[in-house]
Amino acid sequence: MKHTKRYAIAAASVAVLLGITACGGGTAAGSDDKTPIKIGVIADLTGATGDVGTPYNEGMLGYIDWINAKGGIEGRKIEAQSNDYAYKVPAAEELYKKYVAGGVVLIQGWGTGDSEALRKKVASDTLPFMSASYAEVLTDPKESPYNFVVAPTYSDQMRVALNWIAKDAGGKTEVAVFHSDSPFGNAPVADGQKWITEKGLPLGYKAYPMPKTPNQIGLLSQAKSQGAKYIVIQNVSSPAAQVAKDIKAQGLDMKIVCLNWCSDDLMVKTAGADAAEGTVMVQPFAPPSANKPGHKDVADYLTSKGSSLEAKGLHYVQGWYTMHVMAQGIQKVLKAGDALTGENIKKALESMDAVDTGGVVGSGEVKFSAESHRGSTATGVYQVKAGQLVELEANAKP
Amino acid sequence: MATATGIHHRSYRAELALRHTRAEYARLGLMIMALVAAPYVLGNYWLGIVNTILIAVIGAVGLNILVGFTGQISLGQGGFLAVGAYTSAILHERAGLPVVVCVVIAVLTTAGIGAFFGLPALRLKGLYLAIATLASQEIIIFVVRRWNWLSEGKGFIDVSRLNLFGWEIKRETFEFQWYWVLLVLAVVAVLAARNLFRTGLGRSFMAVRDHDIAAEAIGVNLTRAKVTAFAVSSGFVGLAGALTAHYTETVTWERFTLDVSVLYLAMIIVGGLGSVAGAVYGATFMMLLPALLTEVSDAVKGQLPFLADQLPAIKNAVFGLVIVLFLIIEPRGLARIWQRTKDYVRFWPFRY
Amino acid sequence: MSTFLSLSVYGLADGAILALAALGFVLIYKATSVINFAQGEFLLVGAYTFYAAFVVLGLPIILASLVGVLFAVGLGIVVERFVLRPLIGESPISVIMVTIGLSAVLRAVVQMFFGTSVREQPAILPRDSIKLFGGQIPLNRLFVIAIAAFVLTAFTVFFRRSRHGIAMRAVADDQQAALTMGISVRRIFAMAWALAAVSALIAGVLLADVSAVEQNIASFGLIVFPVVILGGLDSVPGTIVGGLTIGMLKQYVSGYADPGLAEVIPYIVLVLILMVRPYGLFGETRIERV
Repeated sequence: MKHTKRYAIAAASVAVLLGITACGGGTAAGSDDKTPIKIGVIADLTGATGDVGTPYNEGMLGYIDWINAKGGIEGRKIEAQSNDYAYKVPAAEELYKKYVAGGVVLIQGWGTGDSEALRKKVASDTLPFMSASYAEVLTDPKESPYNFVVAPTYSDQMRVALNWIAKDAGGKTEVAVFHSDSPFGNAPVADGQKWITEKGLPLGYKAYPMPKTPNQIGLLSQAKSQGAKYIVIQNVSSPAAQVAKDIKAQGLDMKIVCLNWCSDDLMVKTAGADAAEGTVMVQPFAPPSANKPGHKDVADYLTSKGSSLEAKGLHYVQGWYTMHVMAQGIQKVLKAGDALTGENIKKALESMDAVDTGGVVGSGEVKFSAESHRGSTATGVYQVKAGQLVELEANAKP
Repeated sequence: MATATGIHHRSYRAELALRHTRAEYARLGLMIMALVAAPYVLGNYWLGIVNTILIAVIGAVGLNILVGFTGQISLGQGGFLAVGAYTSAILHERAGLPVVVCVVIAVLTTAGIGAFFGLPALRLKGLYLAIATLASQEIIIFVVRRWNWLSEGKGFIDVSRLNLFGWEIKRETFEFQWYWVLLVLAVVAVLAARNLFRTGLGRSFMAVRDHDIAAEAIGVNLTRAKVTAFAVSSGFVGLAGALTAHYTETVTWERFTLDVSVLYLAMIIVGGLGSVAGAVYGATFMMLLPALLTEVSDAVKGQLPFLADQLPAIKNAVFGLVIVLFLIIEPRGLARIWQRTKDYVRFWPFRY
Repeated sequence: MSTFLSLSVYGLADGAILALAALGFVLIYKATSVINFAQGEFLLVGAYTFYAAFVVLGLPIILASLVGVLFAVGLGIVVERFVLRPLIGESPISVIMVTIGLSAVLRAVVQMFFGTSVREQPAILPRDSIKLFGGQIPLNRLFVIAIAAFVLTAFTVFFRRSRHGIAMRAVADDQQAALTMGISVRRIFAMAWALAAVSALIAGVLLADVSAVEQNIASFGLIVFPVVILGGLDSVPGTIVGGLTIGMLKQYVSGYADPGLAEVIPYIVLVLILMVRPYGLFGETRIERV
């Protein structure tokens, strides 16, 4: 009889509670003199891609620390709020709302799922959004006006991979694409097929979503019945390593071509140097072993903190330089004396000169324009030899 | 009329009223004031959280109809939320129908699918039904993930901003405007559920829960009752799903996994099974908990960095602990705790 | 032929691990009528405890196993005493929810201590493959089948022959009668949970060895449901049959049809069995008395 009364009490107490903890509404950051530059960072530290998300986030925060120690950008320090969303899109949206309420001017995101989900919101909230998702849709200013992608997209990487396979096979061959069963995994699949038709490559092409099972034997027997000799993997290191291990266990004659998220030391270590031998890796970010000029700053910073570039690895560098490109945009706005708003940063990113990354990102330079938010199209192609990534081709373009 | 010996009525009309005592009316008044004042007092972030709570309330009330009042254990809510969300989003985006029509069709579709998945309930009970609904959840999510037509190959659907016959939601007042829409719908849902259990149909649900064989013996049509319970409950859940789609403006399958089903079950367990108000309390509590934990973690970041580092793990741990502790200490949930508080005040200084 | 053979071996190995995991589930259900939704997390805790003892502390394998077993027994007893006993007599949904809550807590604790990245563990079982009838059969999978078979046989013998095993069957059959015969039902409950945790430990360690030490191990717990429904909730031989069937079915579907479908096939089988024979292939039909 008194049930709805309880609804009343509940809502009342909730409202009172919320009223007590109410935060003020958010406003865009002003153009004051020395106020810190607020940015929001959404990271995956403990979720499905946490093993690569953690060093990426560390690299980004490392860069911020480094540049703040040098006085910040035009005298203003960067104040980063960084939180873990564990690769769950709803959590990313909560964090986004929080950052907007906290008055950030830009967002550094992470995954394809949340980048795609948030792109309309960041456009209407005018917040530039960079992420570690290299899905092609994020590079089109008509679809995602406020998203910027520093590296070649997954589709670009797929095109480079297919080119390499066509060259290596020297004739007709079959390609199987193993991809993660997620928006991230699906991103390059259709574009790969289109590229083959467009360029008339003599490649058979079939895509398989990867289930989360302890062995990939089923997948491999499917690929075997397709006659596939090359397996392109669009997934993170640990499932790719499982495929490598299973190929070796089964003694199959298949070569793995990894796209950027499984092209790292982690994959080699998890699979074992033996199983990973000969794997081709399409990696737009130069690994520490390639010793590019751009690695120096990062290595110095890490040594000064008691660590080393080898310990932190490729993804640390990735996070570092992604933030570096964004910082150039911020610097352009501040140098011109404009107000530091999301819209101005977007325009600055589109109009600024190519950012020199010392050979670390793609061809070494990252440039956006008003027509394209794709920072670079070139990528490096490596091969695993004796447990090390050896460069096969630099600046491979689709 | 409230007296020291209890609440007595002098007419049938008085007995059927929703509020009986002056204290109850006073609390109702307080609540209305709080609900009306809330959007003016809260900032955007907290208002956003309140909006998600309102959506969860609708879903939890729906689930409670099935689990709490009809005694059918269901682990498939995530799937039904997905059905509601996708139906509404696809109709809105691709068929261009007005929002209200889309939502209504979404509700009816989910009710239909719910009734279909309720058919196993006619043969299975208790644990077996729980496992069957678990299977339905996994199967629905699999279909949603693989059926490319749903998202036209993109993996997610973008839903355009809500536009009700010309009344548009603007960016600046997004949360504010949504609050009113959701509040009205939540109140309607709660009142509908409340009234359902004053009807014969509602009572037949409760009879099925208490002892279905005996219910059949006194003339309750078990098939009709169970299937209707599934349908009605899924309708509510479908509404919550459709609202999620329009409010968050994207539809991805990640929002509708087994974890979400478990979360809704936790809401009604913690709130109190078999009580509409309990569902509301439970929904509020479980949705507020992660947000409060984030606030606490931010506040003590300096002293206890461990908290911030492990926040997702801690949120999960607290979630589990809350369920376990509530079940061990007060299995009848928040509703019962509130009841006991009121009784204590009312009977004081007597014990009972 | 060779594909069929490899698929069969992989399927049997997965099925054997499933059967071990499901065994614990059935033990608990038979003795205490509780549905343990946290079975997957028991596997997870078992695997990580062994990892901690073997890799982090660097103990020799026998000692590490012993530590694992002791921890599993302790966990089972603590869970039974503090989480399940207060809920005796409550409605089934409350009991289900408490085990779900427990699973969330266990998973979170493992995450707090060990993070979510994949952990490396030196192989316990040999990693090479042998050529058999034209197919490459990995040795570690054969070992898994052998070890699982041994453990399952041991449990079956335990139930048939030993005093405690028979006591457990008595309690499962009729608690009141067992009490009158002087069997300590409380002790039997604790034993059921402890044994379930131990079988989960073995399953978890085997699984970690053939795949990896990572959080995904817990998701094996959900597939336990189709296994026990297929085999019958209160039948140990049924569990073995169910586990092997589901394991092999998944592998065949993955190899010959669609690997993604293989993930959902157990649930489709589950629904079909529930429609046709709800009590499973070997289970006892429940008669409800009014």
